[in-house]
Amino acid sequence: MSEIRFPDVATLLVVTVVAIMPVLMPMTLATSIVIFATATLSVTLLLGSAGLLSFGQGLYLGIGSYTTGILLRDHGFGLMPTLVIATLAGALSAGILALLIVRRRGIYFVMLTLAFAQMGYFAVLAAKDVTGGENGLTGLPRSFAVGGMTIASPLSFYLLTAVGFLLAFLLVQRLNASPFGSVLISIRENESRSEAMGYDVKMFKVAVIAVAGGIAAFSGALHAVFLGFVPPSDIELEISQRILVMAIIGGVGSPAGAIAGSIFYIVVSEALSELWARWMALIALALIAIVLFLPGGLWSVGQRIAMARKGRSSGG
Amino acid sequence: MSMQLLLFQVLNGVGIGMIYFLLAAGLTLIFGLMRFVNFAHGAFYLVAAYLTFAVVQWTGSIWWALLIAPVAVAALAVVIERVLLRHTYKMPHEAQILITFAIALLLQELVIMGFGPLGQNVPVPPQLAGIVFLGPYVYPAYRLAVVASAAVIALVVWLVVEKTKLGAILRAGSESSEMVGLLGINVERVFMATFALGGALAGLAGVLAAPLRGVEPFMSGEALGIAFVVIVVGGLGTLSGALAGGLLIGIVQSIMSTLWPQGAQLMIYAAMAIVILIRPAGLLGRF
Repeated sequence: MSEIRFPDVATLLVVTVVAIMPVLMPMTLATSIVIFATATLSVTLLLGSAGLLSFGQGLYLGIGSYTTGILLRDHGFGLMPTLVIATLAGALSAGILALLIVRRRGIYFVMLTLAFAQMGYFAVLAAKDVTGGENGLTGLPRSFAVGGMTIASPLSFYLLTAVGFLLAFLLVQRLNASPFGSVLISIRENESRSEAMGYDVKMFKVAVIAVAGGIAAFSGALHAVFLGFVPPSDIELEISQRILVMAIIGGVGSPAGAIAGSIFYIVVSEALSELWARWMALIALALIAIVLFLPGGLWSVGQRIAMARKGRSSGG
Repeated sequence: MSMQLLLFQVLNGVGIGMIYFLLAAGLTLIFGLMRFVNFAHGAFYLVAAYLTFAVVQWTGSIWWALLIAPVAVAALAVVIERVLLRHTYKMPHEAQILITFAIALLLQELVIMGFGPLGQNVPVPPQLAGIVFLGPYVYPAYRLAVVASAAVIALVVWLVVEKTKLGAILRAGSESSEMVGLLGINVERVFMATFALGGALAGLAGVLAAPLRGVEPFMSGEALGIAFVVIVVGGLGTLSGALAGGLLIGIVQSIMSTLWPQGAQLMIYAAMAIVILIRPAGLLGRF
């Protein structure tokens, strides 16, 4: 299968979906979807490109949320500087932890991501004076001035978060198509051989973990801005699991899988939570089915249809 | 910290550490043979803890739970292995991890359906509710019983792994399960037995822990995190690593809960980070 260069069908489809979502559903639901799709991109980048399965991306999402809460509320920062600093904070902390994590290979990676995510949660509980402990951070500003425009209405929040998602989406897509992305794929396929070829595998891993941490923190920052407060659930293990589930259901073979997974998870949970409080059991069953029968996730269904159509038109 | 308090906390730490050891031992055995991390392990512990709660409610005695919960969880583990996991042995490790993670989610939801989302207390058995005198010091009898019973279980597991034929197959299988299969041993059955043994160990940990900490539906994630820390600290694939890691983490947690209560859990993970910095392979690691 040859790589389709930018701008491809997937990009077009993602932009269309982002554009029409607010018409089809309540604005707050659409906003949640693009925020979690951004978070999911960090899992997609790690697992899809570098083959690194992370159970702890919620840690960086939480770091982004808390940084945003503290800067906006306690230090009077503007929106744009806050988003930039929160993203950098996530990338930096991911990079530092990655230096520790890459000391262990293989199966340890998964365990360490989960363990450090737990550590972040307990650190938030321990540093109650700064983080508000189990109450989180409340009382964030509800309106922002960005370059002469005011961000206060639901539509303006959607536009902000949707643009944020598209930026992250293009970043992941560009990274995958770059020489850096090619090295990541070679690490995914055969780590020892990549090392033998002279690539500094550890530093490549640290770099991709830092980028993914930055993306997750960016989504966390958007989440805090959108909610107007920082819930401690933003750094709990559950949020790491949620974005991992979204990534697997959507498929990690393409960054477009992130939005497919996020739409599926959030729409299903919204529709079912009214009917049955234990809807998570169905998500778990869906996850089992996807892993067993559709390893490429929902997005790969679209890809298969596209391939079949292309095969038919070129063949006949 | 007075001598009395220090001794008290170290003993507490040994008690918690022995429970952590049981948790990590099951994970290590399963990993050693099958080369994948069972993310449903924390959920096995959760199910056993709730079975303990239910048995104490029905019969008023925890002793039945000590028998029923590990057997039931071992049976559950075998069913899961037969119905789902054996389809994933040819798949990438990520698929096995994700399937066991999904099973963990499912079990957690089933527990909430059965028992509700709120935590419950499990009373300490009346025979062990008192205190015992250790020379000039006093100590809760139940915690001492936990240390003693976990030590007995550890000894039994060690004997099984080191001295029995199943143990020999297990150890050989962790070197090369293909070779073991070529020698005419039914590897599928060994996988089943290992899963049952791992489940039973998680089950025993759940029973012993229930009166100490109560039960709540989200205790599985916490247990899984701690089991990973124990394995990273001790080293994967050896029982002695799980024991060393479990005891170290238990004692750190227990002493820190006196010095800095809200940071005690945090220090577990800090201890892990220090071990990775100084000894990346873990204290007694093989892999």
